[in-house]
Amino acid sequence: MLRVSNVRKVFESARGTYIALDGVSLTVSDGEFLCLLGPSGCGKSTLLNILAGFEPVTAGSVMSGDIPISGAGRERVMFFQDAGSALLPWLTVEENVRFGLRVRKIPKAGWQPIIDKYLRMTGLDTHRTKFPSELSGGMRQRLQISRALAVEPEVLLMDEPFGALDAMTRRYMHSILLDIWQRTGKTIVFVTHDIAEAISLADRIGVMSFGPRSVITKLIDIDLPRPRDLTNPKVAVLYNEIETLLAPDLARVAEHS
Amino acid sequence: MVAKPADDAGERSRRSMTATLSHGALAVGSLVLAFLIWQFLSTVLFNPFLIPPPLEVIRTAIPMLMSGEILDDVAISMSRVVVGFVTGSLAGIFTGVLLGRIRLLHDLFDPIIELLRYLSPTAMIPIAVIWFGIGELSKYFLIFWGTFFIVVINTTAGVWRTPIARQRAAECLGATKLQIFVLVIIPSAVPYIVTGMRVAMASSFMSIIPAEILAADSGIGYLLQKSSMLLQTNRIFVALLTICVLGFIVDRIFRFFVDRVLARYMSFVSQT
Repeated sequence: MLRVSNVRKVFESARGTYIALDGVSLTVSDGEFLCLLGPSGCGKSTLLNILAGFEPVTAGSVMSGDIPISGAGRERVMFFQDAGSALLPWLTVEENVRFGLRVRKIPKAGWQPIIDKYLRMTGLDTHRTKFPSELSGGMRQRLQISRALAVEPEVLLMDEPFGALDAMTRRYMHSILLDIWQRTGKTIVFVTHDIAEAISLADRIGVMSFGPRSVITKLIDIDLPRPRDLTNPKVAVLYNEIETLLAPDLARVAEHS
Repeated sequence: MVAKPADDAGERSRRSMTATLSHGALAVGSLVLAFLIWQFLSTVLFNPFLIPPPLEVIRTAIPMLMSGEILDDVAISMSRVVVGFVTGSLAGIFTGVLLGRIRLLHDLFDPIIELLRYLSPTAMIPIAVIWFGIGELSKYFLIFWGTFFIVVINTTAGVWRTPIARQRAAECLGATKLQIFVLVIIPSAVPYIVTGMRVAMASSFMSIIPAEILAADSGIGYLLQKSSMLLQTNRIFVALLTICVLGFIVDRIFRFFVDRVLARYMSFVSQT
């Protein structure tokens, strides 16, 4: 379980002080699929970086289970949009997965079955000897998923992971991710600015406001069976509800860009 | 008639072979053209004493090769380049990694490096002779000097530009600070380091010659200097040609090594 209580995050820089988050509270239960949704600059990535332990909070607390988060932890793995940067381009598909097992000090004898299992789960087992530069964008993201799952974390923190993929590949990645989530029971915190993506994936959507002083304006339960049909009238109602919530923020984004 | 797929593949490989052949033919053509222009310049436009014709130069080169005279000079110049280049590269990589990693060191030493790098090895020859004499040490020093700054600057940039996502991803997987440094940051900097070393290698070739002209009693630069004093333009041209061929060969060896050993580190993955 992840618990964020009254978190405030202030960035100090040469250009001045920026209050990114101000009074954010959120609880993510085990096995939940939570989407953080909001316009660019709403602090959702900042919140995710705090959950990953990359950024300290200015005030408030973040807990993973009963332990305060103060750095990267074994139970949490972050997942990046730019797979080209996040992967190790000089290692093959299989070696990238092995890298995680190696730095986790998992006994060597256990490596091969783990590698096989997760490469098969993401459909990459026929591409083991390829380098990331030889993979498509969707395959690189699947490799990131395999690498993350192989170290068996409890929580996946995903920062707009499919934002750079084309629409068809993105839908395919959604089905893969949901399938893996249902099979493994991981807790997922998924950042996105795409309303349809959030509705098709999440158990619960945390809508965030445009910064500075971002907060979670509303938590919405998505009580629809999966796989979700985006033409379902209930989806349209939800979509409109979120759109209305975001409308004032969208106007402010327009002013700033 | 419709071509079968097998024919298609054969056709493709034949086409790529044709491409290689025509590329090779063009390279040979370019060299032949150069010799023709050279011949024309030396016999028609200028005095053959000032620009000795190609055949004359080859005639001079053969006994120099046979007696081993030129090979001795090549060996001594190369050993200077290699010693200075290797030590300069190692020191440059070591310093560059530290500067790329430790902010305080970077802020402290970057201004000094930014100023000193404008002192080319050639500018350092007079003081090097006073410090180290005209023996091997002064040449090692000059090549080291030329290599060091180029490699430092490139290495620092490479370490600096390791994507933050890559470091954080490794951290999440459980890598320690040391593992991130050795297994993520250093390999990420390899393309920058190699680029720096290649530029430094070229610069070493540029600077060994003036160093030997001004302060040596052996080496190709010395051969140039001696031949100039004796007005032996033939021998000067042999020395100049030797430099061209040597630089070309060394760069090819360097590339071959990089392709064989470091190829996997050289690929940049584009942003998805």
